[in-house]
Amino acid sequence: MIGLLVDPFGLPFMARALAQAVLLGVLGGTVGVLVLLRRLAFVTDALTHTVFPGVVVGFIVAGSGGVLWGALVAGLASAALFTLVARHRRVTEDASLAILLTGFFAVGVILVSRRRAYTSDLTAFLFGRILATDAGQVAATTAVLVAVVATLVALRKELLLRAFDPVGAAAMGYRVGRLDLAVNLLVALVVVAGVRAVGTVLVIALLVVPAAAARLVTDRLGALVVLAPAFGALGGWLGLAASFEASVGYGVRLASGATVVLVLVGIYLAALLAGRALPALRGWLR
Amino acid sequence: MNFWSQALVEAALVGGLCGAVGVHVVLRRLSFFTMAMTHATFPGIVLAALLGVNLYLGGGAFGVLVVLAVAWLANRRGAEATSSVGVVLSAGFALGVVMLSARAGFSRDLSAFLVGSILTVSGADVRVAAAACLVALVTLAALGKELVFGAFDRQGMIAHGYRVLALDLVLLVLVELTVVTAVPAVGTILAVALLVAPAATARLWCGGVAGMTAVAVPVGVATAVVGVLVSEAAGVAAGATVVLVGCVVFAVSLLVAPHGPLRSARSARRRTGRPAPAGGRLAGSLAGYRYRHDGEET
Repeated sequence: MIGLLVDPFGLPFMARALAQAVLLGVLGGTVGVLVLLRRLAFVTDALTHTVFPGVVVGFIVAGSGGVLWGALVAGLASAALFTLVARHRRVTEDASLAILLTGFFAVGVILVSRRRAYTSDLTAFLFGRILATDAGQVAATTAVLVAVVATLVALRKELLLRAFDPVGAAAMGYRVGRLDLAVNLLVALVVVAGVRAVGTVLVIALLVVPAAAARLVTDRLGALVVLAPAFGALGGWLGLAASFEASVGYGVRLASGATVVLVLVGIYLAALLAGRALPALRGWLR
Repeated sequence: MNFWSQALVEAALVGGLCGAVGVHVVLRRLSFFTMAMTHATFPGIVLAALLGVNLYLGGGAFGVLVVLAVAWLANRRGAEATSSVGVVLSAGFALGVVMLSARAGFSRDLSAFLVGSILTVSGADVRVAAAACLVALVTLAALGKELVFGAFDRQGMIAHGYRVLALDLVLLVLVELTVVTAVPAVGTILAVALLVAPAATARLWCGGVAGMTAVAVPVGVATAVVGVLVSEAAGVAAGATVVLVGCVVFAVSLLVAPHGPLRSARSARRRTGRPAPAGGRLAGSLAGYRYRHDGEET
């Protein structure tokens, strides 16, 4: 049993994929706590889609090396745009987000549709290729992780205050708009880091599911901050092992990125059960 | 009918249907929920395609499951609606991708589901779209007053003794029907645009739900038809072009419509004689943004 979870990663490409998956899981889980507290799941979903045209333009201009930079520009630009959008009361924020999201995404699809290898390119952009991770990508993800954690530690007091009492934060003189911009930029960074590995459409799972699972088993923020990255890393590891075992051992090809997401959802369901069982257990012991 | 006029008829039907139903999506702020429905419809369609069952049936049945899953998850302790929707959305999408990848040589159809391919719709697709339009028309005509009441004053409606949950379910099934109908034309990822953009555009042009519907339906039809024509002329993906046309119409309306941010800010200034917020319109945007961002659930 342990062999199934360890052996595949003796292969160099699997080891790199594992490093990438675990790093992304930790990254997604950490920022996911903020996404959960601020109810930013829709903004996150929108960011994953708006990064797409950047990915495509980067690829067309500079090959696969340009993907990261294209995604970065598109991610930062749309994060700034989201912070400004929806001041207007007649059109609610969710409608504006939906329109921006699909608009950006449509631009990406149109650009891809001009290329000859339309469908295979589209699939690669949307679902990523985690098994093709190289050392440079792992290094980039590590750098993003360090930067994101440093920012979160530095701004933790302000971000928490903003999450729980926005009016109070504004009254105390904090620049709430700038804090929101910072959070959106952090989410955009995670999305960009995950794009090549799991694709634009599945990054949202890394940012939403581990934190939501952790929230089901604990009420305390301290535990949340530890559990969410742990769940993310666990999902990355188990998902890769499962997809490897299925394709090598049983001849069933399971897309690795999507398998990681399904394992994360499995963890969420387990947390759902545990969250119901734990209080009952405590009550029984008392 | 040749394939070309068939595509245009399909576009017009789907555009009109999305415009009418989209009004209620926009009023109730259901955009993210609709997004989750479109993503989770994807595995249903894949499953139906693999099993050789009717695509509409498979997608629709899965969509209803999704509605129930979100409603159930959102009512757990410690859960909140937005992240439950996010979980269901990613679970559904990943499930679809895994099922597709297990079946080799399926990538052509994959992109057709994701971004639509309106030029290959069949006569059956058009008939389904026409039937869906009829169902939506009848439902909206019969329950229009109640739906609007529920959107604006849920508590009041409960107090009046209406079956609010049943009404919610009717609306969600209607949205799911629309999503499934729109999938062959614009695909699962982009269907939400056709639902939201015409209705949000209508909201900028007029007040009142009847007025909004009256504007959203023709805007939806025009968006879809013009999008298909433009995509044909430029040789690019049809579904994405339709969406982009919808977004451009919305963006232009933001600038010129009577209730858009520019015009209404100007006329408010004229009325009150007060200058624009200090630091210009941008600072005003941030000020307005921060108070509304919280406490809004989908």
